[in-house]
Parts: sequence; structure tokens; C-alpha cells
Amino acid sequence: MSAGPATVHDLVRRRPFDPHPAGFDVGVGYAPSHHGELLQGMFADASGQLRRALVTLPLPDRGSRAVFSPSHSHWGVVGSPELTKARRAALLTLREFSTHPSPAKGGQVEITSNVPRGVGMGSSTSDVTATIRAVADYHGVSLSREEVARLAVLAELASDSIMIDDRVVLFAHRDGMVLETLGHSLPPLVVIGVDLAPEVHVDTLALAPAEYDDRELGAFQVLRGTLRRAVATSDTALLGRVATASARINQRFLPKPQLEDVLAVGLRHGGCGVQVAHSGTVAGLIIDARSPGVDAAIDRCVTDLAGLGLEVMTLIRPRVSPR
Amino acid sequence: MTIRTSFADATEAYQLPRIVQLTPNLYAACFTLMKMVPARYILRKAVAEGQLDPDTVIVETTSGTFGLALAMQAAHLQRKVVLVSDPAIDDRLHRRLVDLGAVVERVPASAGTEAGGFQAARLERLARVRAEMPASFCPEQYSNPDNPRSYASVAELLLECLGQIDCLVGPVGSGGSMCGTTTYLRTVLPECRAIGVDTHASALFGQPPGPRELRGLGMSLLPSNLDHQVFDNVHWCSASAAYAATRELHRRHALFMGPTSGAAYLAARWWAQANPSAVVVTLMPDEGYRYQDTVYDDAWLATNGHLGDPPVEPTPVDSPGQSGGGWTTFEWSRRQIDEVLAVGTP
Repeated sequence: MSAGPATVHDLVRRRPFDPHPAGFDVGVGYAPSHHGELLQGMFADASGQLRRALVTLPLPDRGSRAVFSPSHSHWGVVGSPELTKARRAALLTLREFSTHPSPAKGGQVEITSNVPRGVGMGSSTSDVTATIRAVADYHGVSLSREEVARLAVLAELASDSIMIDDRVVLFAHRDGMVLETLGHSLPPLVVIGVDLAPEVHVDTLALAPAEYDDRELGAFQVLRGTLRRAVATSDTALLGRVATASARINQRFLPKPQLEDVLAVGLRHGGCGVQVAHSGTVAGLIIDARSPGVDAAIDRCVTDLAGLGLEVMTLIRPRVSPR
Repeated sequence: MTIRTSFADATEAYQLPRIVQLTPNLYAACFTLMKMVPARYILRKAVAEGQLDPDTVIVETTSGTFGLALAMQAAHLQRKVVLVSDPAIDDRLHRRLVDLGAVVERVPASAGTEAGGFQAARLERLARVRAEMPASFCPEQYSNPDNPRSYASVAELLLECLGQIDCLVGPVGSGGSMCGTTTYLRTVLPECRAIGVDTHASALFGQPPGPRELRGLGMSLLPSNLDHQVFDNVHWCSASAAYAATRELHRRHALFMGPTSGAAYLAARWWAQANPSAVVVTLMPDEGYRYQDTVYDDAWLATNGHLGDPPVEPTPVDSPGQSGGGWTTFEWSRRQIDEVLAVGTP
């Protein structure tokens, strides 16, 4: 139940974002992953137009590290074949720097990642974001979070909002646009994550977009208002209710086996709900990190989840003790 | 995280209630014109879906505030409105409707004594009016599922304001506001209770229909937008009790609302006092201006036999039919109406 090897994170820590460090003519970038969403659906933008959008649950302990090695003689970006989106992201980012005094023409992208693939933990957005940051790093430029988001969506059509790491946002993941800033940070929460269908690999791009009915669109409006309050008042219990409602609506589109059983485990031990990867297979029990006896509650949840045949693969806890 | 901005138009400004705390655990959602919520939603959706081009006339049968809300929204959309109403339409409301450009067709007073009453006569007139028009759009507040759906905006506001809501209390007419708001609150708070407030001789919750003095809630027919399985409790409130509660709401809390708000306040206050740890919200559909010469006039109340304080508590009844008068309450327990009428008490 450990959060996995923290090597990627350590690597980045040892080698900070320092443009053109002596002896390294490369750019590096890091991006965390996520553990699915707290809310996903369709929401009105400022003009009233409905857009697909989500609120990501960040997972800082896993991520991707990209190294960009430039070429000044060859156009194009090379990299291993499975990194199509990352290579596209590198090309798009290079285009942004074409007026830079000494731009790279092309180059090579290498990714080191400990994000599981095909389970809805944002491995591709993590790769893409790390790549965009690596190319920008090579050019000695720091792109704004919104700019990274725009490039990420261009590169992979739909991208979650892990690059917007300074606030909680409702993010239109196909438009690369923040619909609303909900607050500075999430309420203190513990998330106990499991994979509800380890044998299933979800290809996000192959997944048909959910066709929500009018009743569900109304529910998303209600959940948005509720989440606004949960974030503003740091109410983990209310946040858990929103995530649970969003997960249940999503059952019509990409059903998670055992969702209600997992939720029951959490509620039995003082948890406040369940969140899912809406286009993946992972789910997480949400517990208020400030609740008394939280450690014992985690242990009991882990035991009961094992009773359901589910192995805990992720544990998110606040970095600093909230008490 | 956003700044306050202006409303796009008057109907947007009117559609959401003010949430006012009355006691430590009782809140009122005070509307200027609650029917603006479905009227605005339905008409704007009709425009967006191409059902309401500039030559299409909006038609509806109503003698109440839904017609006013339609006429206001139609003024913004620059569409014509024809409303079919009872002969007894309130004169102030009528003047306002006409000023907004609405055509008000009244069925004759004699229709009230015929089979089906005014409701049947209005529907028949509506059909004739539509037959003479090349293109018309009827919002159908009693059966259009967009009526309850439009209340997502109200549930959103209540949850953003309060987070926890243990019980929603409100008057029932078409069923749209109570069924819509409760259903949406329950997406987040499945345990939230719903208390419907009706009046005697209304068919909504199983009483034999008959003449009713208290207007704005209750019906002689069952609208399909009324989902009985939403309700945990039902209260039936007499006109006298509703009027007295309306005045008390004004005197004690300075809220100047109409009599359906008073009826809802009566039931909500009683339940909130009995359940001090529960957060209670009551829907208050309109303001008191239309009732200044009646509910807010002591001489009128005396002449019509409505003086006195509101009752202190409701009389529990074992079946809807047993509910004779005054203020009564019944455990509905989220059942279908057929189930209730077959069994009575759960």
C-alpha cells in the first residue's frame, strides 16, 4: 500500500528546473499525475455554453519526468513509439519558440514515469505536461500554467488539469480552459485508492464522450455549487458527497464494478464518499484527514477492501499534518 | 472567487430567491416570482432548440403567476403571448399582463358550474386558440419535465449557501418546484426530507376535489409533474391558517410574502421547532403586493371570517380523506398515491 517508488520525484528534486545547467544541453520537466476526478460532467461557461469539464484529484507522489535533447540540424521529434502524444506536445511547444534567439529545430524526448497506464491516472497528460515543460526549460522559458494547459489539450485533444497546480479549478478538458476557480486548495483529505478492474485497459481517446441527459446536466449544476462550498469552507464531508454523486452518474457510461461495495466500506469506517477516474478503472475512498482516529480508519478500510479482493495501490495524505 | 456582475435582464434578476435565516435552524428561500424559474428555462430552451421563432405565439392556460413570468420573459424575447384564464383573474395581475403585451382570454363565469369546471373550459379554449394560429408554443407547466428540471438552479443555490439541508418544505401546485428542488438536493443529500403543503379539497394528495379558498397551491386534477414518491409528509392548510401565518411571517420576520408562503412557513416552523438539530428550508413563492387588499387587510379578514392567530400545531390524520379542515398532517412516506389511498397509514 505504499505510494510506489518515489524515485522520479527524487530525481527531479535533485535536479531543479534550472535552464541550461552547466554541462547539460538538455531541458527537463516534471509533472505529477492524478487519481481521477472529484467531479466530471458538462457545465456552463460564462456565456452559458455547456462544456465538458472536470475537477482533478492530484496525486503528487507519482509523475513523469521528461528529458528533451535538442537537435539544431533535424526537424521532427523522436522518441519511443508509445510516446505519440508527448512527441506531438514537443513539436507544438517547439513551434511556440520558433522566434526564440536559438531555438531547437527538433530533438528527442525521453520519459521516465511511474504512473500506471490505462487506469485513468493521467499518465499521458503527465507525459505531455512534463514534455512541454522540458522543451520550455531547454529554451530557458517558464510557461504559464494556462499556456501549458492549452498546449497539452492541443497535443492530446483532452487533458486533465494537473498543470494548474496552484488552485482548484473546474477545467474544460477538451477546450484547455478554466471554467471556474473553486478555491486555493482542497480540504484536507485522505484517499485510499484501488483499481476496480485491473484487467481492463481504458484508451481515453477510444472512449465515446458521455451523452448526458437534461436531468444529469441539472445535477452537474447542483454539484458544481456544492463543490464551490466544500472547497471554500474546507468541508471534506461535502466534497465526498459531490465525488460520490459524480461517480454514480458516471456508472451509466463507464461502470465500475463493486463501486457501491467500496463506498459501503468507507462509510462504515467514517469515510465521506468515493471518487473515481471517470475514464479509467481506479476509485478512491475519501476520508477527512482531520477526523479523529484517521489512521485506524485507514487500516480498517484497507482490511475490508482486501476482503473484497481489492489491493490498495494508492494512498494520498496531506503533506503537512492538518492538526 | 468571482466578482459580482449585473444581471443580463430582469428575468435573470428575478429568478433566484434570497436565502434568509429566520431561526437558528430555519431558512426561507424568498422569491419575488418563483414561476420565473420554469418560465425562463422553458422559453429560453425553446428558443435554443428552434421551437420559438419570431412568429410563434406562446400560449398557456393560467390565471396566476406563471402567466406573469411568461409575459415578462416574452417581452425580452419579443414574442407574443396569449393566456387563457378564469374570469376571476386578479385585476392587478391582469393590468400587469396587458401592459407587458399579453393577450388574456377569459373563459365565461358559467364554465365554473359545468363538468370539469374552469380547468376543462380553459383547456378547451386553449385548443381553439391554438387551432387558429399558424404556429404556437405551449410551455405546459403541469406536464413538461423541464418545469421540475429548471429548479436545479435553486438546489445549486441552496447547497452553495447552506451545504446541509435536512428538510425542504414548500407549497405544491404543479409539483415542479418541490419535486424538482428536492430531487436535485437528493443527488448530494439523499436523506433530505420533503414536506409538501397543500390545501383541503385539493386532489394533489388524495383528497376529493372541491371549491378551495386558498389559491396558488392545490389542484382539482393530478399534474404529471407531481411525483408523489418525493414526499415524506403532507400538510393540508386552511385559508384562515395560511393567512394568519402569512401575517405572522410579516410581523415577526418582516418578510412580506403571499399566502402560499405563509402556509409553507406554518408547516416549516412547526417541523423546525420539533427538530432543532435539523436544517430546514422553506420555499416562499411570491411577495405580498397582490394580497394587500385581502390577506394584509384586517377588515377584509374579519368580513371573511379569517381573524385569529394561526393554529399551534397540526392535527395528524390517518388518511388524506380524513383531513377535514384547519391544519392537518399525514405521513406520506415517499409512496405512490395509489398505494396511499389503498392503505392509509404506513
